Amino acid sequence: MKNLVKTIIFLLIFCMLWSITFKFFWVDKTPISLFYKQPKNHFDVMYYGSSNAYIHFNTTLAYDKYGFTTGLMSTDSQPFGVIKYLIKETKKYQKPKLYVIDIFKITDDLKEIGDPAIRKSTDSMKFSMNRIDAINELLTYNNTDKSEYINYYFSFLMYHNSWKKIANVSDNNIGALDSSSLYKGYGFGSDQTAISVQKDYVWNDAVVELPKKNEEILIDLIDYIKSNNLNVIFIVPSRTLSEIQMGRINDAINIIKKNNFNIINFNDLNDFKIDYSKDLYNSTHLNVYGATKYTLYFSKYLHENYDLPNHKNDKNYISWEEEYMRFKNDFNKITKTDFDELISLYQY
Amino acid sequence: MELTTFSFFIFCIVTLIIYFIVPKKIQWVILLISSFIFLFWNNFNASTIIQILIILLSSYIFGILIEKNYNTKKGKYLLILGIVAILCVLIYLKYTNLFLITINHILNFLNIGYRFELVHRNSLIGISYYSLIMIGYLIDIYRGVCKSQKNIFKCALFMSYFPILPSGPFIRYNSIEEDLYGKHKFNFKSFCNGLLRILWGLFKILVISQRLGMFVDTVYGNLSSYTGFYTILAVLFFSLQLYTNFSGSIDIIMGISEILGITLPENFKAPFFSKTITEFWRNWHITLGSWLRDYVFYPLQKSNMIQKLAKKSKQKFGKKIGKKISLYISMLVMWILIGIWHGGKYTFIIGTGLLQFVFIFLEDILSPISNKINKKLNINTDVFSYKLYQCIRTFLLFSFSLIFFRSNSVSQALLIIRNMFDLDLSFILNGNLFKVGLDVLDFMVLIISLICLFIVELLSLSGSVREKLFKQNIVFRWLIIYILLFSIIIFGCYGVGYDPAAFIYRNF
Repeated sequence: MKNLVKTIIFLLIFCMLWSITFKFFWVDKTPISLFYKQPKNHFDVMYYGSSNAYIHFNTTLAYDKYGFTTGLMSTDSQPFGVIKYLIKETKKYQKPKLYVIDIFKITDDLKEIGDPAIRKSTDSMKFSMNRIDAINELLTYNNTDKSEYINYYFSFLMYHNSWKKIANVSDNNIGALDSSSLYKGYGFGSDQTAISVQKDYVWNDAVVELPKKNEEILIDLIDYIKSNNLNVIFIVPSRTLSEIQMGRINDAINIIKKNNFNIINFNDLNDFKIDYSKDLYNSTHLNVYGATKYTLYFSKYLHENYDLPNHKNDKNYISWEEEYMRFKNDFNKITKTDFDELISLYQY
Repeated sequence: MELTTFSFFIFCIVTLIIYFIVPKKIQWVILLISSFIFLFWNNFNASTIIQILIILLSSYIFGILIEKNYNTKKGKYLLILGIVAILCVLIYLKYTNLFLITINHILNFLNIGYRFELVHRNSLIGISYYSLIMIGYLIDIYRGVCKSQKNIFKCALFMSYFPILPSGPFIRYNSIEEDLYGKHKFNFKSFCNGLLRILWGLFKILVISQRLGMFVDTVYGNLSSYTGFYTILAVLFFSLQLYTNFSGSIDIIMGISEILGITLPENFKAPFFSKTITEFWRNWHITLGSWLRDYVFYPLQKSNMIQKLAKKSKQKFGKKIGKKISLYISMLVMWILIGIWHGGKYTFIIGTGLLQFVFIFLEDILSPISNKINKKLNINTDVFSYKLYQCIRTFLLFSFSLIFFRSNSVSQALLIIRNMFDLDLSFILNGNLFKVGLDVLDFMVLIISLICLFIVELLSLSGSVREKLFKQNIVFRWLIIYILLFSIIIFGCYGVGYDPAAFIYRNF
């Protein structure tokens, strides 16, 4: 009995030291890790997708305008196949009224999905069978050797090496952003204030068939949504796209429409247009001006078309007000302009 | 399945749980099943089954027959037959290429254009260990040291006991029989002791050996770029890498066995504190040395051929020198066999065979001269500084011999020796030292770890370090264990970006 007690105490101390140690070595800065830090049943909308999601949709601005809360489960180059597992993860902690799914990554050539994309979308998930299932699914795409799977199940096998660069943050950061640049999941930093002039283009309706596996993943997700009776809206983000990507998206749009789901293609709307000479900071991402325009339009659409609550003036949601103020101050400081003035320029 | 991989870790936990849950009289069956799973892991095919069956059946059948014909000539012939059967499998699997290379050299020397193509043989892990272990078993039965095992499955367990398959140590039937087939109750103290030893083994391998290996591999992989100081450092590092890798894996093996309640013989005793090469080999791979001494060296010394030679030499050169000549010949045979055992390559035969013999031979014949010089120059040999000099000399000689051991060919080894003398001290100023596989932080971890290793080895000379630690108060004891544990977790070279620690000795 004495030995058993000793062993338990030893293990408890070990677990405590472990959690402290890995907080230092693995500085987790994805919107997914922020998701876990929110109270239960806190989000009204959940938003999934690649960097286009967390860089384009300003959750604090949407809250300020209409009072609904949006959780972002978005990571760089997030493989489309992981979304089903992220929804499952969401359902453990939250009861959102609406799920927003960015379908851009359905266009990926699955074999080309790289290690960082897989890692960023799964490393931040809490350890569970769902996480293991997600890893197992993603690793089949690029035919990763089964003996390597263990390195994905247990993140410390990768991040224990970060001891050399404690100050430099692990490989799990989000591009140029750091944790202070996440405002309730929305990513904003000085990079997002730049303007990259891109060629304007018109949406092409030509259909390019999705690769068989991609189609299976989409149908599997749709089946999951149907079987769980989830309220979902699919979107195609505003960004530059190749002919093949456009064609594949058109195929995906047809499949989604056939299954009676709502989908908005932000590249093909009459009342919303991205200015390719002003609204992007690189070829594939909206800058803060484009993101503001997009957020104002999309949050209004969600407010008008879905029954979303307004939490403004609710003390439990005070942190959303604070985060919006923090964002505005940072924006004003970086751009030396007034964010309220910027908003007033848009009609949405 | 490498000893530091997650799969091996899980494999051991499952084995241990089942081992202590099942009725005690069938514990050995669990060990047998685990051993065969380990043995055939990723290598289950007709060829490997036949290999095992030949060695097992030869040992089992000849063991019984030798016992029945104890002290008869027939018994001797049966022993020879049994040994030949096992050796045939071993030679076929491990040494075919050595023969082919030798024949190709001869053909080249004779200017004959034909060359034999080298072959790849699929052998099971630990074949060099269990072949010799089973030969020792037959000899012990013949000598009456032990009885033969009548249960073929128990015999199979003795042959394949899984912890020793990757790196030994060599076990002997009479000393392990009781533990192997006995009943074992879970013992918390043995469990803690075993775990601590496993941790220490992991520290040696993952923190030290793997890190040293990164430097060594970089230099050996690019001999044209790295010369002089880099080569010297790589040569010295390799000795430490080999030691920490080999002794670390033995620590893991011993730790697992300790938890299982099975005591294995020690294989190392602080070898780098040895003052001579002779002493070094008494402390390095102890069980191989004692196996060869008991089953090769002594029988050879007593053989008719050597006895006759000794007699003739005594007549010709006098009693003292004549006796030495027969001794040196037996030693030479033994060292060549040690070299061959390490692998079917000339680099092994030279590195761990012939050169060791040369060093020991020189030590033996030069020691009277060196004693005289010391006396004449009034050098005090009992002081720390002289002993330190002797230890460093032994370390340098051993490291030098390992150049052959680590090289892919004799010509590469000679190139490395030449490179060592191409000294350029600019590395001190240009900082390039920290670009050879290890950066400044890696060097710092390495230096601190080597200091820890040195302290532990020093403490081990005066008794078990674990016993000393367990006598300490719980706070200090746990502090040390947590430091060890987290050093491995944080500074260990494992996981993404590293190959699973491969055991240098596993292929022998």
